[in-house]
Amino acid sequence: MTWIDFPLYSSISIALWIMGLLFLVISYKKQTVLKFANLLLVMGWAVLIFFVIKLWLELDRPPMRTLGETRLWYATFLPLIGFLTYIRWKYKWFLAYSIAMAAMFLVINYLNPETYSKTLMPALQSPWFIPHVLVYLFSYAVLAASSIVAIKGLYDSYHQNFKMETLKLADNLVYIGFSFLTLGLLFGALWAKEAWGHYWTWDPKEVWAFLTWMGYLIYIHYRHFHAHKTKQALTILAMAFVVLLVCWFGVNYLPVANTSVHTYTQ
Amino acid sequence: MSENQHKIQRNLWENPWSYVESFFIGFGLIVTGFFLEVFVTTSNTFTLKYPFNVYFLAAYVLLLIVLYKWFSTTQIIRWLTKVPASISSIALVTLLVMVMGIIPQIPSENNIITNLGLNHITSNWAFLLIIFQFLTCLGLITIKRVSQLKWSNFGFILNHLGLFLALIAGILGTGDLQRLSINVYEGKPSWIATDAQKNEIELPFAFYLKDFLIDEYNPKLALVDNKSGSIAHNNGKNLYLVEKGETYYFHNFEVKINEFFPNSGRIGDRYEKVNEIGSPPSAYISVKNTKTDSIQSAWISSGSFRYPYESFKISDEYSIVMTIPEVKKFSSDIDILTKEGDRISTVLEVNKPFKFKGWKIYQLSYDDKMGKWSNLSVLELVRDPWLPLIYIGIFMMIAGAFYMFWVGNKITKN
Repeated sequence: MTWIDFPLYSSISIALWIMGLLFLVISYKKQTVLKFANLLLVMGWAVLIFFVIKLWLELDRPPMRTLGETRLWYATFLPLIGFLTYIRWKYKWFLAYSIAMAAMFLVINYLNPETYSKTLMPALQSPWFIPHVLVYLFSYAVLAASSIVAIKGLYDSYHQNFKMETLKLADNLVYIGFSFLTLGLLFGALWAKEAWGHYWTWDPKEVWAFLTWMGYLIYIHYRHFHAHKTKQALTILAMAFVVLLVCWFGVNYLPVANTSVHTYTQ
Repeated sequence: MSENQHKIQRNLWENPWSYVESFFIGFGLIVTGFFLEVFVTTSNTFTLKYPFNVYFLAAYVLLLIVLYKWFSTTQIIRWLTKVPASISSIALVTLLVMVMGIIPQIPSENNIITNLGLNHITSNWAFLLIIFQFLTCLGLITIKRVSQLKWSNFGFILNHLGLFLALIAGILGTGDLQRLSINVYEGKPSWIATDAQKNEIELPFAFYLKDFLIDEYNPKLALVDNKSGSIAHNNGKNLYLVEKGETYYFHNFEVKINEFFPNSGRIGDRYEKVNEIGSPPSAYISVKNTKTDSIQSAWISSGSFRYPYESFKISDEYSIVMTIPEVKKFSSDIDILTKEGDRISTVLEVNKPFKFKGWKIYQLSYDDKMGKWSNLSVLELVRDPWLPLIYIGIFMMIAGAFYMFWVGNKITKN
């Protein structure tokens, strides 16, 4: 099994997932089809895992060197995080979200076959690479969802029909997202110790990752003690996401950027 | 609970202190810190070395316990264990770190930045004072929750005590952290390392480099604009790896790689496989212009420190060039020789450090001008005796993060 078989297996997975997602949508109206949805999603995932295992055996090394292989891992682990979150918190749309993201990575891989053999610099060749990026990816996605909820909340309170449920949803998303954000930050620190000799060097990306973490920390503490001051909480949440966006995209444009180890441009 | 208190009209500094007072105190600390930066001009940064950092830690923790146990009714301790103090210190730490995230932390010509020390935030008095308040809040509430001895505090303690340990060990540990680098040449023992200030330090053991190895990826092909000299394909990203037999397409050019030698030398009008120092990779390519159906062939090479590169001009506008191969992996096959006469063999590689007598030894770099023919390997030695404490903190926080994911928050549960 090699990359040549990838289009076949990924299209089987994606087809199963699309059917699963359709059933998931129907299940909002008709509860009984939910198990078909879950079954199809798990089957799609199983096909993908089968492909990864066979590829690993064929390559005789863990397939985590190239960009394409990395995306394959994202596609494999995103459903896992989605299922775990779904089992625990029962957000159906959340499962759909992670499956759709996984499918997106498969499609990107299909469209960019040349990246299968992309070179990877030595410092990035580490078992920490995938967990570090993966938990960040997931965390950013969940926190992005939380800020969409925050914007909805601010919009609703502007129109005087704010519901407490909105903020509770935001809380839950922040807790899930923040726990992954913490993991991403700490995995990064553990990796940095192995690769660069120090767990924390105040690299610009680290600084902004820390700021993002602190931003959500403020929200969590504020919510914990001022459960009824909804508007302030929503504002803090929206601001925290701005910091997150700076960390994600903005750092490269700041005057501090040229000292960062996280800017991998050719 | 605190909601009701806020609705009651109260004066500034009246019991209990809230956000206004908290930020007042916080900004006071920052202003004090900046004053110290401006007027106390010591060039040394504030660091404690063993054993004073251990004394400091013991005294600090003891002080926090005493304060919590016997002085928790005083105004200031009550304030420090309440949310406004926590939130204000989180916010002000965030503010100062944000300065660090915007202003490059390098020597500056701007007087305001230099005088206020905004280009060395981590050792800035304002930052140290705020972090000290942050840690004091964190320490006191941790002691409070620990002393309650309740299972429901489990996640809280993991997160808060974990952060406290990681932070305080990280800050106090800087004084004991040693980072040395050492140049090791093939076939020669080396034991003189240098620190960040270029001081020479004699190690209690020596390194003997048996072999330094570099694995390279194949070079890549790039279409280059003859006028600007920049890459004119795929925005300079995702270049194609040179591999024998492959065909790639650049605009209206079909490029076929007929031959590829990783190590070669020019002999007459062609390249041949050779194996000597500085022999660059080369490839024989045929380029077909699909508009005119004309085919041209030539040898190209990325060159090396000994030989020039060769590109292939395929039209007035474009040339095909071979990029310098990227490094896939570099490693040092070394022996560590101790004074007792022991000889320990190991291979150092990026991301695979080696632990030896309290040191962690890293593969850092090599002579990049010589590339894969480098007989110099630069190693880094790091000694951080506080690391176990930091790791305990980090792993507590990791456990705390899992707890947080699984349990969620109290608001949703109610």
